[in-house]
Amino acid sequence: MILTWIYWAICLFMVILVLRSLYREKSLREQWVAAMVLVPLLLRVLMIK
Amino acid sequence: MFEKRYLGSRFTASLMLVAAIAITAVSGLSYMKMREPGPDIDRVVPHAGFEHKRLSDWFEGLAGTPADTDIYVQEGAEPGGTVLILGGTHANEPAGVIAAVVMLEQADVKRGRLMIAPYANPMARTHTFPQDAHPQTFSFRTPNGVTRAFRYGARITNPVNEWPNPDIYIHPESGQTMAGIERSNLNRAHPGVADGGATERLAYGFMELIKQEKVDLAIDLHEASPEYPVVDALVAHERAMELAAMVTMELEFEGVPIRLEPSPKNLRGLNHREWGDNADVLAVLLETCNASAGRFRGRTDEALILTGEDKAYEKAAGLGRLYVPWESFDKRFEERVARHVTTVRLLADNLEFVREGKGVTVEGLPAYQELSDLGVGAFLSD
Repeated sequence: MILTWIYWAICLFMVILVLRSLYREKSLREQWVAAMVLVPLLLRVLMIK
Repeated sequence: MFEKRYLGSRFTASLMLVAAIAITAVSGLSYMKMREPGPDIDRVVPHAGFEHKRLSDWFEGLAGTPADTDIYVQEGAEPGGTVLILGGTHANEPAGVIAAVVMLEQADVKRGRLMIAPYANPMARTHTFPQDAHPQTFSFRTPNGVTRAFRYGARITNPVNEWPNPDIYIHPESGQTMAGIERSNLNRAHPGVADGGATERLAYGFMELIKQEKVDLAIDLHEASPEYPVVDALVAHERAMELAAMVTMELEFEGVPIRLEPSPKNLRGLNHREWGDNADVLAVLLETCNASAGRFRGRTDEALILTGEDKAYEKAAGLGRLYVPWESFDKRFEERVARHVTTVRLLADNLEFVREGKGVTVEGLPAYQELSDLGVGAFLSD
């Protein structure tokens, strides 16, 4: 159970970093990449299989 | 193309995020539809006389789990042996699945008992393999114009049902090591483990069925890629070799060329090895040629499943990379199903010669030429 929460926390941390990158990025291509990367991370944070 | 034009803003970032979520949602919903595809997909209309059972009737550990699967049983008026047929051990080998369905809908058992599991691994039918771009369904039309659609699944159990797999899978019975993904492959999991992973438990259920019902002949229907050496082949456990040799000769007489392959003793987890080693059953596996699951294939659509025609395979054949004479080879779906049905019929017909008093007579199955000419839809019910 502890491992699950550690995993969840890492995912949440990643979501925050990618979101930060998404909104700071000035290149449209890089914004699109960040948005796509964000989706599976969000699913993991929301624990949706 | 946008790299050198810095047009990004908070607004475009939000737009990108919404677009990414929308695309994922649409594709995700389409993908999840494979799990509950509706009553018309994978529907079967068993011939009169079949009794519907579940594999959990033989192994309670499967009850209420996604691994539990349908078993149809028909007993003839005369006593005889028992034949078990599996389709869909690998759900991406569709001729095996449809051959089992055709037999389920046409078989009229006169002697002995016929058991059919058309969707042997139901957990492999709820997904397609990532990046393989397979269509989710393929269909046929019956003579009355009714569309019968079936799912095209994957070789392995859905990761939703069994995850994660190890880097290396150690076959529990033998200790043989395999790629980790093989843990989810029903045809590497035999004879199964009662308290193992979902696929191992499913394999255990089939082993229990074979033992409890004293199955005489067990046949697993598969397909192989054209670049795979065992194409249009009958693979037999050593105790089934005499029967398989007889059937191979009869198939040649009927104009259906087929290879006879012995089940390798050192390749563990496969049904023709483990069923034969663990029970008094004659175990065989049949392979036809399926370009839609091959690695060389180009455009992957329903037409490829049904016709077998593929430009990339034509090129591969020209380079001598295939095990089948591609240009002259009949790759059509109806030929592959006809091949399976005919081989099963001949195996059942000849069972009496190797097991006295255990013959199984099945009438109503379409003949090879009939099925090959009229197509699969002609032998599916409305």
